[in-house]
Amino acid sequence: MPEPAVEMQGVSHRYGSAQVLREIDLTIEHGEIFGFLGHNGAGKTTAINILTTLLVPSSGNARVCGHDVVADRSKVTEVIGYLPSDVRLYDHMTASENLEFFAKLSGVSDPRKAAADTLDYLESSELGPRRMSTFSTGMRQRIGIAQAIVHRPRVLFLDEPTSGLDPTGVRQLRQTILRLNSELGMTVFMNTHLLSEVSRVCTTIGVLNHGELIYKDSMAKTTERFPDEASLEDIYDRMEGRPS
Amino acid sequence: MTRAIAAQLVLSLRRQRTFLALLVTLLVMTALAGVIGWISHRTIIKVYDEAVALLATTGTPAPPNPFDTKPTLALLSNMVIYIPLIGALMALVLGHLSMADDQSSGIGRLIFSRQVSRRSYVTGKMLGAFTVLTVIMAASLLVSVASLLIVNGAVLSAPDFARLVLFYVISLLYLTAFALIGMVTVLLTRRRSMGLLLALGVWLVLTFAVPQFTSGLRPTASLNPITDPVSTSQTFFDITATGRPISVSEQYKEASTRVLEIGIPEPGSATAWRVLPIGGLVLILGALTALLVNRHDYSRSSVNE
Repeated sequence: MPEPAVEMQGVSHRYGSAQVLREIDLTIEHGEIFGFLGHNGAGKTTAINILTTLLVPSSGNARVCGHDVVADRSKVTEVIGYLPSDVRLYDHMTASENLEFFAKLSGVSDPRKAAADTLDYLESSELGPRRMSTFSTGMRQRIGIAQAIVHRPRVLFLDEPTSGLDPTGVRQLRQTILRLNSELGMTVFMNTHLLSEVSRVCTTIGVLNHGELIYKDSMAKTTERFPDEASLEDIYDRMEGRPS
Repeated sequence: MTRAIAAQLVLSLRRQRTFLALLVTLLVMTALAGVIGWISHRTIIKVYDEAVALLATTGTPAPPNPFDTKPTLALLSNMVIYIPLIGALMALVLGHLSMADDQSSGIGRLIFSRQVSRRSYVTGKMLGAFTVLTVIMAASLLVSVASLLIVNGAVLSAPDFARLVLFYVISLLYLTAFALIGMVTVLLTRRRSMGLLLALGVWLVLTFAVPQFTSGLRPTASLNPITDPVSTSQTFFDITATGRPISVSEQYKEASTRVLEIGIPEPGSATAWRVLPIGGLVLILGALTALLVNRHDYSRSSVNE
């Protein structure tokens, strides 16, 4: 039986006296699109930082594709792609140069081809020769996704990928996520605030409240479990104890 | 990985306007150094010739021209001032820019979510910065040779060329220290603007403040590479002079003037001892940069600065 795409066992983290994550147990299977919901400061970004090896958890174990994020950091970084919420690349370099650089860092054998292929896949080849400093937020986001998938990772971590995007950008991003999942078989772990997007894209959701995972199930079972609620917003409010 | 990071730094620096402006300024001043030295020399010779003519009218024999024996490289004496001023500032900016984006714009998060170790990252950054500085010093060397060729109309002799190369090697070491200061300061602060301000503060202290305390109290200015005209015996001056060996700016100037045959000659070993504090500073700053990168939390960024 293959290892889960993402596995967290009793993961806690604290910054000084602030407890940000509390005993998180979470398993995400390959092929899922997981939506991680929670209010600002709930600990979603901290969870992604731990899973992308940027942060060592205070306690507990986390694995990506069976590799421990602390002990097997190098193997974890081989299989993950990461898009932070406020993506910025080197402004003085073109989109293609940025992608080639990140492809090299991921050990891709032909970085130039990988960069061109990725831009082509995302239908953004026209952005390749342009410098990042000339890009709009939406264009930056597209190149941000390109850098995250240039080495064809197995698990893609997206931290608030829709922040700052206009409705067209959000729709394009949704389609891209669905394509990456269905065509390239990538498992997607997505932190987000946009519940409407979660209901359209995600196969599974988890809800984080003050560092505690209070809910995790498939989208289908979630809508079955809360038949009285009209939308995911209402379900989310009920989970967090607010009247819907 | 190291090579990729170094290559990225070189490519990025080639397009940074602030850095390029300082680089062009340094190269122009390098070219002018030879011209200014030559004009200054010609002026002195002209004054001497006028003095000889004046003495001849009174029937007084004139002493032989002492400036005819002036070493060729002495024409480049201004370089000993330009390197600590413009060169060090350029190196400081280079070091700052090499780390600032990764540290404050969150690119470090993308880098370290890949198969990049902290060691290969910091090695790549240092290698890239050192490569750029080496190319700049090589370009300055060529400009200096060309400048002397034009104003003197003669090719440098082999020993003079060797001395000029040695001067630029010492300058490279000196500038490396300032590039590392640029890196360290940006790693110590969360805001990149504060990092640059701190770096400029360190540059001011090393270039102006420390020399003032250690030997600037003597009549020569802190930037002027002229040795003590008179030996001071007062206790105060004796005490401040003990700090001179650790004043890297002064040690650089003293060593450089000897290499360019401007100052009072001294044994080669004495000049080598003057370079030692600069080398020591480079090693300490290199180790500190590696330590700070190793401990830095790249999961955070200050992109909203």
